[in-house]
Amino acid sequence: MDWGVIYEYREMFIRGVGYTILFTSVGVFMGTILGLIFGLGRLSKNPLVRWPSVAYITVFRGTPLFVQILLIHFAAIPEIWGLFSEGEPPSAVFSGFVALSLNAGAYIAEIFRAGIQSIDRGQLEAARSLGMDNGQAMRFVILPQAFKRMIPPLGNEFIALLKDSSLLAVIAAPELAYAGYATAKSTFARWESYLTMAIVYLMLTLIISRFVAYLEKRFATE
Amino acid sequence: MLKKKSMKALLLACMLLMMAVMAAACGGGDKGSSQPSSGQAEAGKEAAAGGEKKVLKVGTDAAYPPFEKMGPDSKPVGFDMDIIKAIAEVNGWEVQIEHAGWDPLFEDIEKGKRDIAISTITIDEKRKKKYDFSDPYFDAHQLIMVPESANVTKIEDIKDMRVGVQSGTTGAALAEKILGKGNTKLRGFDDMPSAVEELYAKRVDAVVGDNGVLNDFLKNSGKAGYKVVKDPNVVPEQYGIMVKKGNKELLDEINKGLKTIKENGKYDEIFRQYFGEEKK
Repeated sequence: MDWGVIYEYREMFIRGVGYTILFTSVGVFMGTILGLIFGLGRLSKNPLVRWPSVAYITVFRGTPLFVQILLIHFAAIPEIWGLFSEGEPPSAVFSGFVALSLNAGAYIAEIFRAGIQSIDRGQLEAARSLGMDNGQAMRFVILPQAFKRMIPPLGNEFIALLKDSSLLAVIAAPELAYAGYATAKSTFARWESYLTMAIVYLMLTLIISRFVAYLEKRFATE
Repeated sequence: MLKKKSMKALLLACMLLMMAVMAAACGGGDKGSSQPSSGQAEAGKEAAAGGEKKVLKVGTDAAYPPFEKMGPDSKPVGFDMDIIKAIAEVNGWEVQIEHAGWDPLFEDIEKGKRDIAISTITIDEKRKKKYDFSDPYFDAHQLIMVPESANVTKIEDIKDMRVGVQSGTTGAALAEKILGKGNTKLRGFDDMPSAVEELYAKRVDAVVGDNGVLNDFLKNSGKAGYKVVKDPNVVPEQYGIMVKKGNKELLDEINKGLKTIKENGKYDEIFRQYFGEEKK
């Protein structure tokens, strides 16, 4: 094996790690916001709010992320952009943010829903009887308790998102998998490139799972 | 109680169905792969003795029109496919042409999972160390595809541009030499259509690739306002048919077939069909 190849392409790998962390962070952050909105939307009694939320969650959970990335990058973004501007559409990095956020949002919406539904109905009734309105009861009583139960599935989702960001290689977003893939293709050093990729992903997921374990401990009730 | 029982029955039925499907799938797979290379070698001897036809597995990356693309029945079609079929006819082989993808193609040849790779593979020194190539069957040169308004006359002009290429191709290597290793302005895609798509979307400023392919995009993709630029200082290339290192017997047969179709006019006929009267 010729590990010198990895050193030769180190810039790409280092930049790739940076972008992978960036893609995952943006996906987690935007996904959580979208997840909260659509998770609550799904629980709404108003069908005009509920049905769009159900539709969004169904579509993004029911189709492969790979397909979503292709659709968003090659079709949706250039088309939509073309309606407003003659100039160049945003780069693959932007497409990556959009695709990962929308995908994560759908999964996190379900995590929010499950978390909220797991809180005993009596909690809501108690909060209401203290004079809180529905929104206050949700913010101060239900969500804080639900969040604690959501930590393990959220941690799972973050790890999944980190690994799934590798699919962005197909649109040449300069993340880690793209670095490994491009290196393998231009040097024939497959073992070296793919193993380096695997090891770095493993290190990154280990860091996330350690962090999630810490959060779980921190928020433990007992 | 009854409900539980019917659930169990349903589960059992599902499992049986799955097993049946898997067995069928494996059976089908076996048929495809039950021809070890030693068996093929023997089949070849039989062919010489006037017995069965020699069956050869041919791989390609069917995303490089007009040389190879996926036909509607998911069989690769194109210039390369017609060439290898014509060679097969001369040698009396039967060829099974399959789409493998660019990267797996090299691996399949290396491991002996396929006998022949034909996929606009440029013969270069680096590849020659790991694989063997036939005589060249097509002269290629790298072109730069840009919008008509772009001021590009030579390869050095792309230095500060965002450039789309197909990863792992000689065009990618050329662009990498100009832009430098690890430059984010160099975008490598899995296939050529994706790179050209990015040019149409204005997300790259230029695409570097082989003449046969880029000319075809210019002619047939229905997009106006683009041109291809040829830098005469870029070293021309030649495509070869690739086989496993050391498989001299097969290589000789391929070369014999290639020579025959060039002499009897079959090659010119196929060339005209795909490239018109364009100079070779």
